[in-house]
Amino acid sequence: MRILFINNLGAGFADYVSIEEGTTIEKFFKNKMQGEQTADYLIRVNRQPVPREYVLKGGDRITITPVKIEGAAYCPKQQTA
Amino acid sequence: MRDVTDNEVGGFGITEAEDLLFVTDFVLVKQKVTCVTISFEDESVADFFENQVEAGRQPEQFARLWLHTHPGDSPEPSGTDESTFARVFGSCDWAIMFIVAQNGSTFARLRFNTGPGGEVKIPVCVDYSYEFDAADFEIWKQQYKANVIEDHTFSLTGRSKSMSGKQEDETDIFGGNAFEETSVFASQDLLGEIDSMEPVEREIFMEELAIRSDFWDEESEVIYE
Repeated sequence: MRILFINNLGAGFADYVSIEEGTTIEKFFKNKMQGEQTADYLIRVNRQPVPREYVLKGGDRITITPVKIEGAAYCPKQQTA
Repeated sequence: MRDVTDNEVGGFGITEAEDLLFVTDFVLVKQKVTCVTISFEDESVADFFENQVEAGRQPEQFARLWLHTHPGDSPEPSGTDESTFARVFGSCDWAIMFIVAQNGSTFARLRFNTGPGGEVKIPVCVDYSYEFDAADFEIWKQQYKANVIEDHTFSLTGRSKSMSGKQEDETDIFGGNAFEETSVFASQDLLGEIDSMEPVEREIFMEELAIRSDFWDEESEVIYE
């Protein structure tokens, strides 16, 4: 069966992939995101979070996106006129 | 967007498929900001990815240019910026961290992770040889209000220019000086405090600010460990 997979790893990907029947989201992540930690990503199926044992269905849309995108700046002392 | 507020603000650059370094649009995601920190809402980042794919774009067109502002005069990346760039974009084939400071100075670094890998600072310019639509300040203002949550605890002015309560017009909001000095910490107080800190203390302070965001509801966001 085919699902739509969206992620930004490597070259980035937003296309349909074929998976075996009964594939869980946990197995899918381990297969497609090798070496990556689940805690570093928000994993959604059809725009909703799912438990790790969720079994993927044909036509599902899986989105794996990075979390905690944050920045900081040191503000140098402003000069007053 | 930089001129709407004294706080940081950020988002992603959108490019055309045939020229991945030519930014044609800037998209905000929901974020919480202070005058020295910015943090994107995870769900909004996911929504952004899905919306862009629905619009027919590939990740390399919308998820490789991380852009944000620095309210001060320095566009140089902080330790938090570097950490995020490495953690979030380090597994991409390539990515760019772009920072524009309040005084217009910019910083752009291209990192590529294929082959031997490497990174290089790249020049930035506005390409006026291409046609583009006129700026619509009202839409920008709406986008800002819809996406940016300001934490005024450490605000330089206590509120954004657009939230100043004064009679607003385009000049006030973008490029004007519609500030009010109503902050919890007056700008000179805060900046002076930061300025007087020892480097280690300052680093800890900045790290604490960076993780202050209450967006992180770990129970609802972490799918599994």
